[in-house]
Amino acid sequence: MNLQIHDISAMVDKSLLQGTVRDDLTMMVAGQGGDGSLTIIALVSKALLKRGYYIYRTSNIASRIKGGHAAAFLRASKETRSNLGDHIDILVAFDIEAVEKASKQLAANCVVIFDSSRGALPPGLVPDTALLIPVPFSRLAVRDLRRDLFKNSLGFGLMGRIIGLSDEETETCLRTHFKKLSSAQLEPNIKALHQGQAFADKAGVVGSHSILCMPHRETDAERIFISGNDAVAMGFMVAGGRFFAGYPITPATDVMNFLARRLPAVGGVVMQAEDELAAINMVIGASLTGVRAMTASSGPGIALMLESIGHCGSAEIPMVIIDCQRAGPSTGMPTKPEQSDINMLTRGGNGDYPHIVLAPGDPEECFYGGALAINLAQQAQCPVILALDAVCHDNFTVPRFDLSRISIDNGKRIDETDLEDMEEYRRYEITEDGISPWAVPGTKNAMNLVTGNERNEWGRVTTEPEMRVKMVDKRRRKIETVKGQLPKAVEWGDSSSPVGIIGVGILGGVISEAVVRMAKQGYHFHCHRPRTLWPVLQDTIDFVNTHERVYVVEQSEGAQLASLIKSEGARAENIVSILKYDGLQFSTAELVEIILEKERKL
Amino acid sequence: MTRTYQTGRPIWCAGCGHFGVHGAMQNALKQAGVELHDTLVLAGIGCSGTVQNNMGAYGYHAMHGRVLPTAIGASLANPELTIIAAGGDGDGYAIGGGHLMHALKRNPNLLYVVMNNGVYGLTKGQDSPAKEVPVAAPEESPLDAMMLGLSIQSTTFLARGITTLSDQLNELMLKGLNHAREGKGMAFIEVLSPCVTYHDTYPEWMNKVYDVDADPDYDNSDRGRAFLNVFTLVQQNRIPIGMIYHGEHASLQSAILPEVTPIHALDQQHHEQTTQHMEDVLSAYAV
Repeated sequence: MNLQIHDISAMVDKSLLQGTVRDDLTMMVAGQGGDGSLTIIALVSKALLKRGYYIYRTSNIASRIKGGHAAAFLRASKETRSNLGDHIDILVAFDIEAVEKASKQLAANCVVIFDSSRGALPPGLVPDTALLIPVPFSRLAVRDLRRDLFKNSLGFGLMGRIIGLSDEETETCLRTHFKKLSSAQLEPNIKALHQGQAFADKAGVVGSHSILCMPHRETDAERIFISGNDAVAMGFMVAGGRFFAGYPITPATDVMNFLARRLPAVGGVVMQAEDELAAINMVIGASLTGVRAMTASSGPGIALMLESIGHCGSAEIPMVIIDCQRAGPSTGMPTKPEQSDINMLTRGGNGDYPHIVLAPGDPEECFYGGALAINLAQQAQCPVILALDAVCHDNFTVPRFDLSRISIDNGKRIDETDLEDMEEYRRYEITEDGISPWAVPGTKNAMNLVTGNERNEWGRVTTEPEMRVKMVDKRRRKIETVKGQLPKAVEWGDSSSPVGIIGVGILGGVISEAVVRMAKQGYHFHCHRPRTLWPVLQDTIDFVNTHERVYVVEQSEGAQLASLIKSEGARAENIVSILKYDGLQFSTAELVEIILEKERKL
Repeated sequence: MTRTYQTGRPIWCAGCGHFGVHGAMQNALKQAGVELHDTLVLAGIGCSGTVQNNMGAYGYHAMHGRVLPTAIGASLANPELTIIAAGGDGDGYAIGGGHLMHALKRNPNLLYVVMNNGVYGLTKGQDSPAKEVPVAAPEESPLDAMMLGLSIQSTTFLARGITTLSDQLNELMLKGLNHAREGKGMAFIEVLSPCVTYHDTYPEWMNKVYDVDADPDYDNSDRGRAFLNVFTLVQQNRIPIGMIYHGEHASLQSAILPEVTPIHALDQQHHEQTTQHMEDVLSAYAV
């Protein structure tokens, strides 16, 4: 039998309310879209960030404007994390469906707060040892505040008590979060907050006896809380990006939203195009004039852009493309993460063309990677793609970006002064490093032709066999030229272990946590996270070939990463694939279980 | 002086209408006194998509159907350039048809020239969207781009010429070029440019054209009346040519370009200002 608070007069068992000090907590708030789940999680995130914790925040929403089940999650811990904990410690459920969805993940000693306005919870959904707190959210909000809308503030008040936030902390948080609201809109929220606190107090959840206490922590470096999408947009701007065109698509739209708000302030332009084909070709147009330009999309949009990407590889037009990968194919599952665009990004398009694909693993790498991509595109005069996964929309706590580290590299751009010493200017001059001097329209005496047809050094179309081979070889050479600047893989773990684990992007964090746990059970692994997907760097091939067995963990059914590295020389017999394609992120416990099961069978 | 590329010899068949269009474009640039190094000519795929090779300006061979978005991107990134986009009726009305209406809607400062021959020449004679009676689908009506342009309320310059009437074509081309260069928006000129090899329409089109410039009752500043007149003429199996519509509307550039345009926002001073600005943006994410 669960302990229940049936009404305010029935106090909970004080023994269950002894404060447990926690430094790693996973929380879920769920209900129908519009219930305010995302707001509560955002508010708690703010409060716990202030307390010195590292927050990882994600959500699980339906692809529709209103309604549908929406869940928001956070994990607060004393070190940086890129996934949720194995179990949910606190659940706030605005409806029964939320409890049903969370049921299997609930921790034995979890706290479940559910909206009892529409009746009690059916039995069997929560562990016997859980503490249940029924709260008539809707009824209270409508009765006292006349609006269902305020239940998020009410929930936050209650939550503050449970994790031991002071009244001052919660109120400051709420006021900062809603700072754009008028006081007529803000005050009822403050009232709702107090109501939530009062409810908790009457139920006996008192600050000093908070149930799962997250005490203040000392923190070292200056930190920020940011998503990969915002970080990559910021990197673009700092590295001189001044033109962006895109077409709305989940989960890439945030990049356009960020830039639409901020790019004009620094002399930039954002265009919402009529489709992805127009978006990428607007970027091409801007890029032709020498302006640093970018687009962002997701799998289906990138598929449409592929012809243009190949065109730029051939025509030697710099550009940056962000792919916020989602579960495919086609429309797939727009709001669910996957890493299944690797085939398309590395080998897609018609013909052979030079390009670069980078895979950042957290917002910090998205920022520096975004800036690097812009510079690389200019230097190599080719498309550079950033393959993001769930890192694009999830929020992480990372060290504040050091903007002074970003400089602008124009590669072989030339101007009228450089031209003075040149007898002849050829846009596609065959050079040893594969990169030709680049003069843009508006430059005197450097008129040139740019084309996606095969061409001679002046840009005149040709199919002459010798020239064709020279041009293809020249374009290949430029990737060799910039290879030294491509981010190498990150390696960690037990370097003496004969067993390796490889994963890209957001999976790095999950693998990190999993290997620490497995080490405690006597299993040791050497880990490797490639940060450049294309060209495949030798260190990844060597890693596979120098280990007896390597688990390649990825979020795709087709084992796209494993196929890619095999095709570039990694021994197939060394690779064991671990694949997930249910639209959910790997949990650490899940990964540990899969790997250990395989290890024990050996 | 640094030498650059040699202009090409056109690939077109003897008698092709495109020679006339090319000539009118060159003439307009000369008359308007535009420097070739300040000009970017973008052209699509097909016979018409080689015109940029013959101009001596900066040239770009666009992706099939995408010449307008590319031209828009360039015209926003560096508004000081003179931008001419060109293509055929296949490139502009079929594969690129979606972009045409959005370009007309946006009214960017550029000149767009469509060489309409009613056929796909380079792939050897298939129907194009402007073919009067498509062989493969005789029930389909041809697409009339002037009527499309008239139906969009932010268009500012809609004209049609025919290569055989070169004086009128030269005049329209110069007017269109100046319209774009003066920041008044998009000048859209469709030129009837027959394909002597696959769809020789010289005599037929000369019989069907109706010059609205010569009609004192035609008012090219009245969109509603122009639409009715053009519609009536089309129903009578005539092809209206001349200045179809000339009006005023804010251009894309005037609506969205910041004070310092993208091409000038890249130098060191701007880099430092941006970094400073981004420090403030970053502070909003600080814990």
